[in-house]
Amino acid sequence: MNENLFASFATPTMMGLPIVILIIMFPSILFPSSNRLINNRLISIQQWLVQLTSKQMMTIHNNKGQTWTLMLMSLILFIGSTNLLGLLPHSFTPTTQLSMNLGMAIPLWAGTVFMGFRHKTKAALAHFLPQGTPIFLIPMLVIIETISLFIQPMALAVRLTANITAGHLLIHLIGGATLALMDISPSTALITFIILILLTILEFAVAMIQAYVFTLLVSLYLHDNT
Amino acid sequence: MPQLDTSTWFINIVSMILTLFIVFQLKISKHSYPMHPEAKTTKMAKRLTPWESKWTKIYSPLSLPQQ
Repeated sequence: MNENLFASFATPTMMGLPIVILIIMFPSILFPSSNRLINNRLISIQQWLVQLTSKQMMTIHNNKGQTWTLMLMSLILFIGSTNLLGLLPHSFTPTTQLSMNLGMAIPLWAGTVFMGFRHKTKAALAHFLPQGTPIFLIPMLVIIETISLFIQPMALAVRLTANITAGHLLIHLIGGATLALMDISPSTALITFIILILLTILEFAVAMIQAYVFTLLVSLYLHDNT
Repeated sequence: MPQLDTSTWFINIVSMILTLFIVFQLKISKHSYPMHPEAKTTKMAKRLTPWESKWTKIYSPLSLPQQ
């Protein structure tokens, strides 16, 4: 049973070949790039969405921070579309893979931190000590702040992984419970089925919110360092 | 947790990097955002091109010497 519960999070292989590369690449074909003067509805909606998100997220940045717009917009679209596609039944969700999320979080975080140390060394070092600390606490606080800086990318990756994994597990469990209750008592099965539907709606919201949160936190790290 | 099995990490990370850092950025950067429609002046903009400053006689086909 325990094996079965987590089986959908194992990286799929087909005849020994990793097909995960195709699965991860798949969302990109939902974003066609057209060379027409007038776009179709899908591309228009996507461009409107990108424009809305980038206005909302990038206005707090200065010119240097705004050079990251393309990166952050592709990040939110990638995570969002992967999460939403992962809610299809029998599909594999690459955002449940800790490795992939770490691979996204660490380079982006490192980029912001390196930028901070390169261009604003004093301000970046000042983040290691809050203002008004008593003198005897200074060494300990510097250590704590350093650890908290290095834990940031881990927290970013684990947050996305845990949220998506927990959602999929809950759907799996409640779906299984509904199926088992169908024969025993149909009225209870109806209740669990309603819960399942509400949970699915919640998971759609979580899929989009987590994409937004991941990008927003990278954007905040960027804001601290530009 | 099959996520903690490190044997698949390499292929995961490589395919993520290919998709996120190359395919997605190429696609999003091709989006074109049209300007807002706004009223434009109907007057022609005055061009500052020295060769069009005056209509000289040699350019007029009628004043060319008859063949």
